[in-house]
Amino acid sequence: MREKFLLIPIRFLFIFIVLGLIFTQVIRHPYYSRLSKDNAIRIIPIDAPRGTIFDRNNIPLVADRISFDVAVVYQELKNREKLIRLFKGLFDVPRKNIEDSLEKASLKPYAPVTIVEDIDKEKAFMLEEESFDIRGLVIQTKSVRNYLFKNVGAHVFGYLSEINEEELQNLREYGYRAKDLVGRDGLEKYYDKYLAGVDGGLQMQVDNKGRQVRTLGLKEPVSGKDLHLTIDINLQTVCDKALWGKNGAAIVMDPNTGEILALSSAPTFDPNIFIRPEDSSERVKLIRDRGRYPLLNRAISGVYQPGSVFKVVVASAALETARITLSTRFNCNGAYSIGNAKFACWKEGGHGSQNIIEALMNSCNVFFYNTGRTLGVEKLEGFARIFGFGKETGIDLPDETKGVAPGRLWKKAYKKDIWYEGDTINYAIGQGYLLVTPIQVLEMMAVMANKGSMVKPYLVKSVDTTEILSVNRRAVGLSDDAIRTVREGLYKVVNEENGTGKRAKVEGIAIAGKTGTAQNPLGRTHAWFSGFAPFDNPRICLAVFLEHGGKGGLEPSEMANEILQEAKSKGYL
Amino acid sequence: MIFDKRLVKDFDKALLVITFILCLGGVLMLHSATQAKGLIFIESYVFRQINWIVLAAAFLLIVINISYQKFIDISYALYAINIVLLMLVLILGRERLGAQRWFTVGNFAFQPSEFIKINFILTLANLLGSKKGRLEDAKMFFIPLVLLAIPFLLVLVQPDLGTALLLIPIFLAMAYVGGMRVKHLLILVIIGISALPFFWHFLKDYQKQRLLVFLNPNVDPLGAGYTIIQSKIAVGSGGLTGKGWLAGTQNQLNFLPERHTDFIFSVIGEEWGLFGALILILLYFLITRRGFDIVSSTNDMYGKLVAVGIVVLISLQVVINIAMTIGLMPVVGIPLPLVSYGGSSMLATFIAIGLLLNIGMRRSRF
Repeated sequence: MREKFLLIPIRFLFIFIVLGLIFTQVIRHPYYSRLSKDNAIRIIPIDAPRGTIFDRNNIPLVADRISFDVAVVYQELKNREKLIRLFKGLFDVPRKNIEDSLEKASLKPYAPVTIVEDIDKEKAFMLEEESFDIRGLVIQTKSVRNYLFKNVGAHVFGYLSEINEEELQNLREYGYRAKDLVGRDGLEKYYDKYLAGVDGGLQMQVDNKGRQVRTLGLKEPVSGKDLHLTIDINLQTVCDKALWGKNGAAIVMDPNTGEILALSSAPTFDPNIFIRPEDSSERVKLIRDRGRYPLLNRAISGVYQPGSVFKVVVASAALETARITLSTRFNCNGAYSIGNAKFACWKEGGHGSQNIIEALMNSCNVFFYNTGRTLGVEKLEGFARIFGFGKETGIDLPDETKGVAPGRLWKKAYKKDIWYEGDTINYAIGQGYLLVTPIQVLEMMAVMANKGSMVKPYLVKSVDTTEILSVNRRAVGLSDDAIRTVREGLYKVVNEENGTGKRAKVEGIAIAGKTGTAQNPLGRTHAWFSGFAPFDNPRICLAVFLEHGGKGGLEPSEMANEILQEAKSKGYL
Repeated sequence: MIFDKRLVKDFDKALLVITFILCLGGVLMLHSATQAKGLIFIESYVFRQINWIVLAAAFLLIVINISYQKFIDISYALYAINIVLLMLVLILGRERLGAQRWFTVGNFAFQPSEFIKINFILTLANLLGSKKGRLEDAKMFFIPLVLLAIPFLLVLVQPDLGTALLLIPIFLAMAYVGGMRVKHLLILVIIGISALPFFWHFLKDYQKQRLLVFLNPNVDPLGAGYTIIQSKIAVGSGGLTGKGWLAGTQNQLNFLPERHTDFIFSVIGEEWGLFGALILILLYFLITRRGFDIVSSTNDMYGKLVAVGIVVLISLQVVINIAMTIGLMPVVGIPLPLVSYGGSSMLATFIAIGLLLNIGMRRSRF
């Protein structure tokens, strides 16, 4: 009867496997269930197209376009040699490159691996037909950013590049993934979260070799929102072209609303080179160009001495505080002295006796040395701030700088020194420690154009159909008399025979403005022109700046003339 | 062939029915495991398996018509023939999966190691039965051990570690029931265990790898550990009720290797869940129980010993096969009886069950 005992270990073994199964299928079920899904389910991301950027007349400026990539599914590739010969003929790439790419493709034999990116549409259609003969050849499409006007408006749009590790950590919650392109500068950066959209995905079931078996689900990508700009691309093109070959900036604004019609910085670049992988050397050249800094948006991020354009502030301050009146006259004999120090006027021999209007027209330094001293540094600093210097204008672009509107305290803090009378003299003609951005100069001039009101500049009118209420207009608190007097001086700058800005004059338009020629420690003088038109009811306000550009009365005034003519032909004036 | 009434009365119909239920379930699972290959029906695994079942049923019919005593009488001859075949396999056999286990006769891949299990049982029963009452003597161990050692070594070098090791518990169970002293058997086990490190050197690299992988499947997750990891995922993801017939992703998407043969249970666990698996195990346990009933009710020592050997053979194959699919035992090439795809295994199992029925229906004649 020994067999009776034999049943005991056998029973025990059966219980053993039953317990094992309960452990595996009940207790560990959630774990294995997840592993099973990980095995069989792949998410293939579908990029959401970025929003399109339109100009004020609905002309598309930046849009996604379809790019055609040639990919190879290595497993299905039969005639390798034929493929290499075909590619060599079509794309003019070294045989070595093609073979390297195929080598890469052999590592993931079941997935399409891109061999040549972004080929011509015609070649893509031709290859699509060939792909019947050459198995394993796949034409894939993806959308890529296209800056339609190439290097025109580059600093307004900015550019895209791959998200970096740190940003990914910060932005993961907002749906950003590795390899995503994010806005790096300009509107692409400032409005990135609107432009970017939400990526979708295709949920695929795959087999053990990673081959796609069936689609389980689709999450449609949500396109990014479109931006409608205040920019007029024609005016933008004129500004960009006027600056071609120079270093500088030009900005055109509607002073009533703050709408920026054009914003140029030179040298410029083509944002498309940040998209195409084969342009990496050009990209590096651009980033490393320490001499010219082409990526710097000089219009909002470059700071310079304003020179004589700042006399608008000094004149307004003196009239407003009644330190001088229309009848106050100072005599200019070509130089001004305090103690041993001698400050020259730009005109040898001097301008003689002048009132404020004549001094503005002639841009007489000696008159403003006197005026500056009667005002004192506190008033100069205070009025510089009233006109917007020393703080950002708040334009909807990233990396705006605020410049420096110096004062006693500032000098103590940053230069560890007291304020000298000579500093005030320099301040009065926009020299010395004062540093401004071109857009601040534009804003200053807009106060004159608006007869005492300041507007906030902006570039985006609406996101999709949602209007952005950006018009932000407020009086700065100057009396009408002061404004009228300064405006008269500005009118004469352009319209009088010996006005410094007469080259800006366009027949049939009443233009007012101010030139500036700023000495700076780095070399040749910076050249400025800022003005507005028509005089009585201005619709255009502009600022032109040339880095080391010589005299404000020459090139910048001529460029302003060009821009104003274009504005006239487009019906803005 | 006319059975007398007594034979019909003692024929265990339930055992036969359970056998066919398991075959049917096996065919369903085989369809699920192989449908992705897209073969036409007459070339499909299902069709071939059905042919094997029909052929095996015919063998079973023959086996139950001849008294099991006749098989025991010719057991030494069968044993000798089988040993020769095992040797021939080593010389001529086709190499599959790193092991030489097959002869190819026409389209039939004949696997002598499946039959040595039965012939070993018959021969050992013959030997132990003839020495009934004298087995208390330790000297009596020598010849039975030689009988074990020859097929053990031949199967081991094929190499088929699982089948070789399976012979040992069969030997121990039969020797125990035959009347050998427990003390002697224990000493034998202890000697065997202490000889294990010595056997390690006889193992092929892939066998060593399998044993190491059993201890930690993650040592080689894409190589040797892959099968066991994917099998555990399949069974575990099946949960209580399974993913449904033909709907197991591990199975249908080809993540499970060997799933129509040794790993068919992974498919069952995945698609039919714990409930399906428990029903399957219950059916096997019923075979074991009916087998033990036959052992107990047989007075003939020869019949008793053959029945014990067969019950241990079937139940251990079931336990080892299932245990290896959920990582409780190393992966050794043991099929799931009646369910795994394979002609030799199907024939051998049907012959074994035929012998069991044979002993059951003739238990009161001796």
